[in-house]
Amino acid sequence: MSIFRVWQLAQFELTRLFATKRGLLALGAFAMVWFMIQNYLIAQAVPFLSSPEFADITGQLAGNIGLRELVSWPEAELAIFWIIALYSFPAFSLFVCSDQTVGDRLRGTLRFISLRCTREEILLGRFLGQLIIIAILIFLTVLATFIVMIYRDISLFGSGTLLSISLTVQLTLIVMPFIALMSLLNLVTSSSRLSVVLAILLFTLGNALISYLSYYFSIMSWLLYVYPGVQIVDVAPQNSFSLSDWLLPVAQTLGLLTLSIITFKRRSL
Amino acid sequence: MSVLIAVNNLCKSFGDKQALSDVSFEVKKGQTVALVGPNGAGKTTLFSILCGYLMPSSGTVSIMGKPLGSPDLFGVVSALPQDATLDPRFSIQKQLNFYGRLQGMSKHTASIETSRVLDLVGLADNHHAKIAELSHGMKKRVCIAQALIGSPKIVFLDEATAGLDPLNAREIRHVIASLSDDITFILSSHDLAELEKLCDHVLYLNQGQLTTHDRDAKQGSNHYVTLTLINDPRNALEQIKQLSGVLHVTQSQNKEYIIEYQSHFEQFDIHLLKYCHKLNWQYRQLVNGHTLENQLFQKDE
Repeated sequence: MSIFRVWQLAQFELTRLFATKRGLLALGAFAMVWFMIQNYLIAQAVPFLSSPEFADITGQLAGNIGLRELVSWPEAELAIFWIIALYSFPAFSLFVCSDQTVGDRLRGTLRFISLRCTREEILLGRFLGQLIIIAILIFLTVLATFIVMIYRDISLFGSGTLLSISLTVQLTLIVMPFIALMSLLNLVTSSSRLSVVLAILLFTLGNALISYLSYYFSIMSWLLYVYPGVQIVDVAPQNSFSLSDWLLPVAQTLGLLTLSIITFKRRSL
Repeated sequence: MSVLIAVNNLCKSFGDKQALSDVSFEVKKGQTVALVGPNGAGKTTLFSILCGYLMPSSGTVSIMGKPLGSPDLFGVVSALPQDATLDPRFSIQKQLNFYGRLQGMSKHTASIETSRVLDLVGLADNHHAKIAELSHGMKKRVCIAQALIGSPKIVFLDEATAGLDPLNAREIRHVIASLSDDITFILSSHDLAELEKLCDHVLYLNQGQLTTHDRDAKQGSNHYVTLTLINDPRNALEQIKQLSGVLHVTQSQNKEYIIEYQSHFEQFDIHLLKYCHKLNWQYRQLVNGHTLENQLFQKDE
């Protein structure tokens, strides 16, 4: 496998978002949504979290849903951002990464590319490109939240920087298997829309089915670990560090990519 | 001549349908090969397997001694796949540059190479156009341009001139003819006149089965010419038979005669044309040997 070719493919993916009208339009819409979130959700909620009068109430509320640790963060903007991003970015990445190979396959463009690189390289290059795009978007939203935070309290600059880096890395790790799942679904469906529909069915009906079966056969509950994001509930409170919670998305990503490569090698273009 | 492509006992089935059945052939360096056959004969399936788009059900394919999909063949084997098109979101220059980069070129070289191939297919003024802005013929030429990036040794062209106007088709034929000393082309087309001009070797596929024809091979100990007349004189067949040196004459189609003559007869073609002149016959075409059409479809009589 040529790292050079994988990198070329990944770089080309970046231009899809940052150098095409359609990509820039999507980026503009994304920025507007996050502007709303910053302005109406995060900015409005922070006074409640940081105000001594409401500290007890919010502490009790957060404690009830297991988020007491987050409420105690002085970087309140980042705490709220974390909860919103933790649930929105995985779903967002399913949509953004829904056309990794399927569009090019249907159009025949992959035929031109496959004369110049292996199928593994195409798949990994596209995955890497999408991962970098999502990581950049995560970073930009973290940065925006960070700026809002230091505008309120400049003394949080040092601790906030470290926390921002940590949250960027954590969120990137969390979205990885979602992107890899879309790589796989792209190979078994005939459009990006169908890939999204199949992903939604997997996360709703599939999840419900496994939960139902595991009620009768406890061993079936292990199947839930195949699902990207199964550890999100555990990592949300940020009150402890468990290595398995962070190895799981990496293992899921590797597993899904391996399955994708095997599928891609067997299918016609 | 060294063997560039070796195909052995290739089979491909789609469910119950056998698209290719025990296909074997070799393509040697320097040959320009035509792949012909009726619709549904398996031409595109064979092309797709040779390009690595489809996996064969059985059999082996070796290109320049390498198996299909070998990274050593990147940039060496190129193709114009049927119905494939570039990404409509990017300019053709950007995409061809990208293909050049994938072939290992530097940014600068890829850019120069893109200009070269676009110039070669007559699209020098369309660098910044997107594929959706181009006409059908121009899209086809862009796809041919991508196949010529770098220094390919083998180029598969599936229906390269289909849908092109006569002028563009002529330009494409000119490009193929001018590059055929350095590149081995394998062309599929329904235009036999086009293949006749370009190809010296013919692979004829019918219902997944292959027969090969060497255009330069002598047919037996006797020689043939194919004469096409403008008008159709009365008793032409009988009159040609009376010409000295003629062994056998058949009328292959209206105004077209296949003439078998004695192999030791020197300058028979000139002898025949003088005879036509004497009889006041005007001829349209005189082909040395059989026309490709007759070679493929004429039943032995």
